[in-house]
Amino acid sequence: MSQKWRIGLTAVMVIVALLAFWNTFKLWTLNEADKKGMEDREPGSVLRLQQKAIRLGLDLQGGIHVVLRVKLEELEPAQRDGAVDRAIQVVRNRIDGLGVAEPVIQKEGTDRIIVDLPGYTDKERAQELIGQTALLQFKMVANMETANLYLPKVDSAVVAYRKARGEMPVSTTPTASNATDTASKASNDVMAELMGKTNDTSKTKSDSAKMFEYDEAGTGSDTEPFSSRLSLFLSSNNNTQFPGWYVNKKDQPLIDQWLNLPQVKALIPQDLQFSWSTRSLVRDGAEKYELYLLKRKVEFLGKFLEGIRLHTQGGAGGLAVGFKLSGEPSGRFAQLTGANIDKPLAIVLDDRVESSPIIRSKIRGEGQIEMGGSATFDDARNMEIVLKAGALPAPVEIIERNVVGATLGSDSIKKGFYSSMIGLLLVLAYIAFYYRVSGLIADIGLLFNVFFLMAILAGLGATLTMPGIAGIILTMGISVDSNILIFERIREELRTGKTVRAAIDAGYHRAFVTIFDSHITTLITAVALFLLGSGPIKGFAITLFWGVTISLYTAYIITKAIFDFRKQYETLSV
Amino acid sequence: MISLIGVPNIDFIGLRKYAFMLSTVLVLLGIFAFVMITLGKAPLGIDFAGGVMIKGHFAQPVSIDALRSGLTAEFADATVTELTDFSMPNAFIIKSKRPENEATGDLRIKAINGIIEKNFAGNQFTTVSEHSIGPSVGESLKKSAWLAILLSIAGILVYIWFRFDFRAGVAAAIATFHDVLAVAGVFYLLGLEFDLLIVSALLTLAGYSLTDTVVVYDRIRENTKRYRSKADFVPTVNRSINETLSRTINTSMTVMVVVLTLFLFGGEVLRNFSLALIMGVIVGTYSSIFVASPIIVEWEARNPRRFK
Repeated sequence: MSQKWRIGLTAVMVIVALLAFWNTFKLWTLNEADKKGMEDREPGSVLRLQQKAIRLGLDLQGGIHVVLRVKLEELEPAQRDGAVDRAIQVVRNRIDGLGVAEPVIQKEGTDRIIVDLPGYTDKERAQELIGQTALLQFKMVANMETANLYLPKVDSAVVAYRKARGEMPVSTTPTASNATDTASKASNDVMAELMGKTNDTSKTKSDSAKMFEYDEAGTGSDTEPFSSRLSLFLSSNNNTQFPGWYVNKKDQPLIDQWLNLPQVKALIPQDLQFSWSTRSLVRDGAEKYELYLLKRKVEFLGKFLEGIRLHTQGGAGGLAVGFKLSGEPSGRFAQLTGANIDKPLAIVLDDRVESSPIIRSKIRGEGQIEMGGSATFDDARNMEIVLKAGALPAPVEIIERNVVGATLGSDSIKKGFYSSMIGLLLVLAYIAFYYRVSGLIADIGLLFNVFFLMAILAGLGATLTMPGIAGIILTMGISVDSNILIFERIREELRTGKTVRAAIDAGYHRAFVTIFDSHITTLITAVALFLLGSGPIKGFAITLFWGVTISLYTAYIITKAIFDFRKQYETLSV
Repeated sequence: MISLIGVPNIDFIGLRKYAFMLSTVLVLLGIFAFVMITLGKAPLGIDFAGGVMIKGHFAQPVSIDALRSGLTAEFADATVTELTDFSMPNAFIIKSKRPENEATGDLRIKAINGIIEKNFAGNQFTTVSEHSIGPSVGESLKKSAWLAILLSIAGILVYIWFRFDFRAGVAAAIATFHDVLAVAGVFYLLGLEFDLLIVSALLTLAGYSLTDTVVVYDRIRENTKRYRSKADFVPTVNRSINETLSRTINTSMTVMVVVLTLFLFGGEVLRNFSLALIMGVIVGTYSSIFVASPIIVEWEARNPRRFK
């Protein structure tokens, strides 16, 4: 490889590495005050930066790690198929509502699920959420008159609460709420519809519904702090509205907090309940949750469903999820749907609303949920899994749980940082002392090595763990081996009386086979370690693997390029 | 030019009798340790044995013996160690192993917290981490640890065989086994726990020690080509070891520097891991000189065939 190529390639790699590492560098150099400033200017910006940077493992930032086992032996053989996927879906649904920045939920082996909740340390709540078996229920949505009765009451309770806490001016002139009467066309074609299989399947698009105008600023009005943050979206085909509202994701925690105030809870009758949707969705360019006012009574249980199947229907390729009912429950479902045509039926998984399809016809024996025009295949697939999870709940047990407090995490980060710095400096000093000028060149190679390694970790989206840091530190010691082998060779060649130019060429050339052979062996063990599987060890294996691989590059491209400049000299400091 | 060693001329092969004696002891110790591990009599970490581990700190100083005796009264196998390098004082690690079933872990953590609360009323104990592992996780982890060990040995053997010859492959594998067994044996002697991190350290040191061996073998191969006469094999091996000695020592030094740093400053999580690596660097360096090469020499003496 010519000198030009080496320098060019390295320049390109440095640029790519800088791009890959940039976000991590930015994040790691921020102090708490900077982060707060960023958050104030643009909410969520720190989180977005975190998502683009090298992730920290649970051992470094604190959090909860849970391994679940799906008790397949408690299921009928026919039900075991897909049981783990259903359980994963259930766990994911529950965790989505938890507000954890980057949860990891993955299948391991045949019957295990790994759940990582970085930064979350409420172990009781996590256990309750993750370890329970799914419960799928069908509930009716309350009617608008009922909702209108309680909304103003909630508003006044919240106003009183906020006044008491000094969160708002005590005297406010009642202004016309910006959240009433403004009609807007809503395309609610995403809304699912529930219908009997035998019925006419032509889809009637819902007409426009009257909606509350969405409060963009997310501040709400002072007099109606609660209701002004809600905007109605749920309506049936004959334009009857039902209490299903969009709530801006930003407002969701606040609304949830208010709904859980004892004085607010006391206002809502026992037979009604507010329920959030499982997921947020994007409407009119903003991320929103749905909030429903449901009748508490459980109308029907998911476990009576069977034969759940995703299929396309009609010429347009609309998606639908079909299901069957048999025996006694079939009669009850027919009765329920027959009595509530044109009303939404809430499908509730673990107290969160999955969907609220409008009942189109009396359903006997066999029915389907039409997914609506803008639903994606994933939406439909999700609906299928949710129904199956409720129909065939997969019992789970927690077989491993690791809770790491944030203090322990930050303690480990400090230790990891200091020991890498100390290790790096000592190796740099040792090599420079022993090989002098050549040692300094090897040091440059080592610094590149560490830099490229970090960039690769960032680029791969790898998770940095304490053993991973140990891998980086160990790599610093091992990776200079390439240069040591080369330098020793050059010394030998010089001893035989070769010129500087010839000694450098021969040294690099002769050391190559040895370097290659000896590095492969380390790579083999790194691969075996990676296959060993457990999270933290994987981090160690990844850093070891890439550290050793890059050291081949730095030795033969970067330090070689510098050495080639030295060929013109009479003597060589090595 | 600083040369710590220059090109010395030490008769390493001549010292092989003593080396074999020492190595036999180390290997036997290691085999014993592995037998004890398989029999379940060696101390296993909670990741293999299943169990609970709590890290936390007290508001006021407590005596470790008082803490320990209170816990062992209820759980005979409970161990308590002081966490000296944590940012808070009076910090301890409490472990209790081998729960009866999957659900016991949580109950045991609650029980331990209850005992602490009762015995040290008024002295707030703050948990910084807790880990509970069911027996089934331990079992499957053990399986994958053995798998990883076998896999890396097979991989290494095949590679050395492919690059050198069968004899060199076997000799290198023996030297590698020797190192892993020696470190495991010393670990067992010291009464330290075998956990997943230690297995990783053993595999890492296997890779490292093999690197050392390969460097020497490479030089033997090169020198055999250069000095063809078969009668010269022992001097050739000696010469090769001596020529690579400077590299062997320098690389061992840089690796030693970083693992020592890890041992001293890396914190409690990495303490045993880095201790295993420290021993690994020492044993690995020793074995590539005193074990891997002498085996080749012995084999050559009994069954002459040129090294390639």
